[in-house]
Amino acid sequence: MAIEIKMPRLSDTMEAGTLVKWYVKEGEQVESGQVLADIETDKATMEMPTYDAGKVAKIMLKAGANVAVGETVLILAEEGETVEAAIKSVGTGSSPTSEAKSEASAADSSKEPESSPTTTTATASATPTSNVASSSNGTTGRMLISPLARRIAEENGLDLKLITGSGPQGRIIKRDVLAALGQDEEPEQASTNPPLSTLSQMVASPSTHLGDKIALSNMRQTIAKRLVESKNTIPHYQVSVSVNADLLLDLRSTLNEQLASQNVKLSVNDFLVRACALAIHLHPSFNAAWKGDSLQIGEHVNIGVAVALPEERGGGLVVATLRDADRKGLRQISAETKALAEKARGKGLSLEEMSDSTFTISNLGMYEVDFFTAIINPPNAAILAVGAAMKKPVVRNDELTIGHEMSCTLSCDHRIIDGASGARFLSTLKGMLENPATLLV
Amino acid sequence: MAVASRQIQYREALREAMSEEMRRDKRVFLMGEEVAQYQGAYKVSQGMLEEFGDKRVIDTPISENGFAGLGIGAAMMGLRPIIEFMSWSFSLVAADQILNNAPKMLYMSGGQFACPIVFRGNDGAGGQLGSTHSWTVEGLFANVPGLRIAIPSTPYDAKGLLKTAIRCNDPVFFLESERMLGNKGPVPEEEYLIPFGVADIKRTGKDCTLVSFGRPVHFCLEAAEKLAEEGIECEVIDGRTIRPLDIDTIVESVKKTNYCVVVDQSWPFGSVASEVATQVYERAMDYLDNRVFRVCSDDVPAPYSKVLEQAMLPNPGKIIKAVKQAMYLE
Repeated sequence: MAIEIKMPRLSDTMEAGTLVKWYVKEGEQVESGQVLADIETDKATMEMPTYDAGKVAKIMLKAGANVAVGETVLILAEEGETVEAAIKSVGTGSSPTSEAKSEASAADSSKEPESSPTTTTATASATPTSNVASSSNGTTGRMLISPLARRIAEENGLDLKLITGSGPQGRIIKRDVLAALGQDEEPEQASTNPPLSTLSQMVASPSTHLGDKIALSNMRQTIAKRLVESKNTIPHYQVSVSVNADLLLDLRSTLNEQLASQNVKLSVNDFLVRACALAIHLHPSFNAAWKGDSLQIGEHVNIGVAVALPEERGGGLVVATLRDADRKGLRQISAETKALAEKARGKGLSLEEMSDSTFTISNLGMYEVDFFTAIINPPNAAILAVGAAMKKPVVRNDELTIGHEMSCTLSCDHRIIDGASGARFLSTLKGMLENPATLLV
Repeated sequence: MAVASRQIQYREALREAMSEEMRRDKRVFLMGEEVAQYQGAYKVSQGMLEEFGDKRVIDTPISENGFAGLGIGAAMMGLRPIIEFMSWSFSLVAADQILNNAPKMLYMSGGQFACPIVFRGNDGAGGQLGSTHSWTVEGLFANVPGLRIAIPSTPYDAKGLLKTAIRCNDPVFFLESERMLGNKGPVPEEEYLIPFGVADIKRTGKDCTLVSFGRPVHFCLEAAEKLAEEGIECEVIDGRTIRPLDIDTIVESVKKTNYCVVVDQSWPFGSVASEVATQVYERAMDYLDNRVFRVCSDDVPAPYSKVLEQAMLPNPGKIIKAVKQAMYLE
């Protein structure tokens, strides 16, 4: 029997997907686990693997076509089956996809995929339907990793799921982990991966001109939909506090100096992630989700970090999830955030890496922003907007002096958190950031 | 140091070790086929009959089982025999004596009889001698508790290890190589001994650890030179003795390089290389970025054909390939 490959549901909210690129062409033999195409969903561009082996009998859609979840996008001929028999057995008239099909079949005979496949490694992590195979290597679902690579990753708190292995059968080896950590094997060639602070270089975009009309990408549509929904349904209010960042900045530079040889470079944001995670423990309602008739206090403290995407990839914004951030040290938070941010700006995050945040931080400190407010990322109860730690004339010990002040503005869902609770949370947070030793031990 | 510049052959180093120990200790004597009148089948004992006389340099009939047993009896009664096998291949007819008696004597006699004896001779293939005369016995004999195995790769190590072997109170299997007897190397004139169980790092490097014993150490050094031209710096560890095994030095190196290739001229199944690999796994698992690679003789009897025999043995080409595979370079 022919195998029909249908548009998969790659995210909870996905209704339709756009075929960005085919990696296979008609007549090609494909293996189970091989990536067939890139699909753009409402959240991200993801790889679509096949779970069956066979010969590609027919590609039903051109690159760029947008179809609903469940519609046939490709027909595979099984072993021993001819391409013609496979196409015939699927039938052509009754399917709701006939329009797309006829359109495609008119074009597909002459249309070659725009580029030849560059990789056949299955990236199972992109599909929510695969529960076990969340590793990025191998087709068996087992993560292959050398003992050394595993140890280095563990010591640095690196999530192995974020790493693509370059060894045999996709085994993750030392160089892959070092690359993910931003360390080169040769210290003299140490790569200088852009830290968060160089995001500003990505703002200037020559690709957009005054007077342009721009089609909405799926991501832009999703951002629009979700934020309008957030603003329309969540009664937002803001509370602001100014944090004395002197000790925090001192501590950060001391740690970075002493850990430089281990390639640890902590950002202010890493401290914020840690502080928020710990503060949530003291204020559990900040981990809640509004359920209409009840509140669900999240079991895990998963901190979302907003990451701006480079303009050349269409811009936009994703929220990377640092899972169980309350159970992670600064080093691990730093390494994971760095890896996630890099992946977000590069090949893109998997659904898992963007899901399940319970509290979000939006930090525009790298743009020297003094103060701003953020829109809650549903179903979170709150979001923290953080400005730059800037030199200001301040009063310390009843004397006017120069100090570093950083604004923290909390947007809360008033259905869940009242004003005084928001103020208490900020007070806890301010206490931790102004006495940063509490974040270390 | 003027003495260090003296270059002598591997066979001369062996002779010096035996002669010095025989001068030092009247209980030491040499016995074997052609060791006396013929001056040694491979001229290792040249001149020794003249110096020490026929009571201490003794020709035997072609009867390994007989003279090996004679030596064991002499050792049990307080002498310190050196038994020369023309080839370790011929020791197999004396297997009961050398494996079933010598290494167990101290244990079975409840400490009443030690067995301070040295069995020495040529080990290894490479001379077109055919299957039965081309044994590399280290894999086979290393399995036996109660004995020591020394396997020097240079004249310096040969002399220092043989002197230690002669003074050792346990039976020592001393594995030489006909292919190396003519090799020259620096050997000081003053006395020195090399303790057992201390490996020698013959070349330092940071990228991959090569562990070997005996003749293949030279193949490793040759491979390391070629790899260095490609920027790969191998650390070459010469174990020098197989029992005891200096696993600490090996593990320390593997912790530094994260990659390990063991080169061993015995057959792969249950080989010395297998043992080294296992001990590396036991002690340095979390430092390995890949499995340990073994380069052994192929799992066939040694062929007579020159071409096939060379193809069967470890060589620099095989080692280079193994290093590159271990380091994920091919």
